Amino acid sequence: MVYLATCKENCSIRSISEATGISSGYLEQLMIPLRRAKLVVAERGVQGGYRIARSGITCHDVLSASEGDFHPAPCQDCGRSEACKTHQIWSLLQNAVVDYSKQVYIEDLASHLVEQEVGGGI
Amino acid sequence: MKISTRGRYGLRLLVDLAEHRNEGPVALSQVARRQELSEKYLQQVALMLTRGGFLTSVKGSGGGYQLKGNPEKIAIYDVLDLLEGTITFAETAPGQESAIERVIRLHFYQNLDQEVRKVFENISLAEVTRAEWFTYMI
Repeated sequence: MVYLATCKENCSIRSISEATGISSGYLEQLMIPLRRAKLVVAERGVQGGYRIARSGITCHDVLSASEGDFHPAPCQDCGRSEACKTHQIWSLLQNAVVDYSKQVYIEDLASHLVEQEVGGGI
Repeated sequence: MKISTRGRYGLRLLVDLAEHRNEGPVALSQVARRQELSEKYLQQVALMLTRGGFLTSVKGSGGGYQLKGNPEKIAIYDVLDLLEGTITFAETAPGQESAIERVIRLHFYQNLDQEVRKVFENISLAEVTRAEWFTYMI
């Protein structure tokens, strides 16, 4: 998503694969939930490929589309959760992570990437 | 990022021992019964917590484990740091990462780790035991 945010035109799976080091087959799989969540748009044809659907997409949007809800501990289904004093610590952790992920925008990360490239960081 | 069984059970062991800390050494069989956890597993975690300076073990009959130190002064972060190794979202080794991975680590995962650290550094074992953590959620 960070790479797509740096692109002005549609990107082919091959170019995304070259830039990210993620295999084409795996990228195709990653695109399915991202398209379903309307975070990326796919276009067919000669100029086709993938592009980021809009601005204002957060890390939380991407992670929840591809990973589902974040659960740092597998306690949701535990029968002791009412009595367990540690149970709520994990909710606290979950909230902190979700809250912060909602504050970080993909295009901000992309702008750091562009800066890094301009500076010869690659 | 997941908190492992060791981290979760270890914390439950410490909370249980903090709740019963006026009763002298506590046998792990009692903790296992109260917490519905395997005693064998608790032995491993207790050993680690003893080496890490959170517990003292008392040998012999009537022996068991006791909390070492004041639960008000024990930060949950230090317990989890010991039991989990490091608590981090940034899993790629800095030397092997691509430019994109580096940006995401520096501008997202590292900050996320800091947020998690802040949460756990500000909660003491005593607060968890008194179930006072909820004041942080408001």
